[in-house]
Amino acid sequence: MSDFMKVGLVLSGGGAKGAYQVGVLKALRELGTRIDAVSGASIGALNGAILASSPSFETGIQRLEELWGTLAKRSPLDMNIPGYLSLLISAGMKMYGAGTVDIVARLANRAAQRFGYALPKGFDFLSAGVLCDKPLQALMDEYLVTDDLANGLPLYISVYRSLGGMYDLLAAFQAEFGFADTPDSEFLHLQTLPQEMQKEILLASAAIPLLFAPRQTNGTLYSDGGQGGWQSMQGNTPITPLLEAGCNLVIVTHLSDGSPWSRQDFPDATILEIRPQQSLARACGPLGGSRDLLGFDSDKIPSWIEQGYRDTLHCVGRVMSAGKSRHELRQSEARLTLSEKGNASADQALADVMAQLK
Amino acid sequence: MSEQQPITQQSEICQILTCLPEKFVVDFANGIDVARERQAYLKGRSGFAARLFDGFTGQGARHQAEINASLTDGVEGALNWLKDLSESLASSTLAIAQVNDRVNSLKLDVAKIATYSIDTRRQLEHMAERLSERCEHLDKQVARIDFVQRVQLHLDSVFNKWSAGRFNSFSLSGRCYAALEELRWGAFGDYCRQTSGDDRQRLLENLSNRVITHLTSDSKITRRERIATRERWLERPVGRDVLPEAGESLAYLGDDHEPHQSPFVFAASQVPEELPLHLPRLNSPERVSEAMIGELFLEVAYV
Repeated sequence: MSDFMKVGLVLSGGGAKGAYQVGVLKALRELGTRIDAVSGASIGALNGAILASSPSFETGIQRLEELWGTLAKRSPLDMNIPGYLSLLISAGMKMYGAGTVDIVARLANRAAQRFGYALPKGFDFLSAGVLCDKPLQALMDEYLVTDDLANGLPLYISVYRSLGGMYDLLAAFQAEFGFADTPDSEFLHLQTLPQEMQKEILLASAAIPLLFAPRQTNGTLYSDGGQGGWQSMQGNTPITPLLEAGCNLVIVTHLSDGSPWSRQDFPDATILEIRPQQSLARACGPLGGSRDLLGFDSDKIPSWIEQGYRDTLHCVGRVMSAGKSRHELRQSEARLTLSEKGNASADQALADVMAQLK
Repeated sequence: MSEQQPITQQSEICQILTCLPEKFVVDFANGIDVARERQAYLKGRSGFAARLFDGFTGQGARHQAEINASLTDGVEGALNWLKDLSESLASSTLAIAQVNDRVNSLKLDVAKIATYSIDTRRQLEHMAERLSERCEHLDKQVARIDFVQRVQLHLDSVFNKWSAGRFNSFSLSGRCYAALEELRWGAFGDYCRQTSGDDRQRLLENLSNRVITHLTSDSKITRRERIATRERWLERPVGRDVLPEAGESLAYLGDDHEPHQSPFVFAASQVPEELPLHLPRLNSPERVSEAMIGELFLEVAYV
């Protein structure tokens, strides 16, 4: 085993299932793992940014717990508003056509007040202002400070060069059906970007096509980094920048069942995958995946955190157990070698004494 | 580890991921979870539509290929580990064989040391025996020297008394008898009874010489000059300093001597009216000395 160890952590994208990564981080802290660099896509990028802008690993985990805990405590009455969207908007994301929707919502409200009837409850959904959760926004404002990123862990963000929301969606469908893969995502080292671009890039990485507008940075439109290299999840599982940064052990977290990302694409890297040992799906039905992704059921968040914690202990624990056996073997061999070094002198001493007996 | 401590299950190194694990170990151990997760996912895709979709998009085959790759990696990892273990085991077995050789060698050395120890003990016992004998001999020598010393002191004491005039109350032959009788009942007499041969002969010669010396001195004649037995040798001294009971004392001391066996001693102690037939009527100091020594000490040897 080498003494030099640089550990990278890949936080994949997966919408509201990003809560799983809080459990992963808690378990890694408990196992005493040091993290030297982080990369993330989509929700993984936001989680990674909060972790990287924290003064310590411990504080970062506390902040993430607090953030996801706040999201989990949302009232059941708000369940028609996806929690994940609320989280993104609180982080500063603007919904597609938010201005138009806002005007329609304001006009509808004014007409309702004028004619004296109440709007249906779901109508509030049209208002971007309603989607913005005040406590969440306060936490995001407090924790997602780009000034603090400069002193934090190196953070790499996956972004997808967007050609327009509808085009991106079609490209993803094509890739899903195996006709043609989407172009690869780009990986940007957040701390080396100009400070005014950092939050833009961060939000761009989580900009779900059609729901959120791509972010324009230096004339380039960037959206959800999870879309790139769709068939191999190249963009959603951004390991490449960590390997290029010299990480010799990379811990990869997945936020989907049966993630098609393959460690075989990186034959020289030491990769420790944390895959869900039970299904991450919580919602049932034809749109269950979307409901989990957008987080309609925020009460599932604690279960994802718990699952992330257990899966990490299981997957990392298995590797540690094997490593421990190897380590003990090497230690015992070294001990044997050390012990054998004294044989010659002991034998000679005895031989000398025995020679005097004759 | 300085003065290396053994690693236990509780050691910190085993509790936290602080050392870079080997790649094949990670692939081997983690590959199990990866393959199992993909397998569980595939198992859940058994519905018609899912199978159709996976078959159409090729995702099912990709998953299977990944599972196969993980399993292959696992087998390769197992092979690597087995190879490593085999090498380690071979090394350990070799070490055990070497330890066994060294233990055997050590046993042989111990056997040699035990043999040496037994020989040493025997030699020590033999030496102790010899030493004991030597000590016993030395004790005897010391005792003999002590005895000889006491004999010499006794001899000196008696003749010093004679020289000092303590025997002046006796006749010339009475002085000789008194001195020899005192020597016979002390250390000198004991020594003469115990010793024999040349040693005894030398002792008696020495005694004889000292008696002759005193007799010649007292009688003022030479050692071979003969004078009358009755008139000179048995003549009792007279004068103020003469003890009146001196004659009776000598008679008491010599009352067990017979005139025909010890004529000189009988005559000196009893001073009879009629001298024994075998007693010469003229005697020299040498003759008196030798005859009386012969009667008192040579007789003693046969007691």
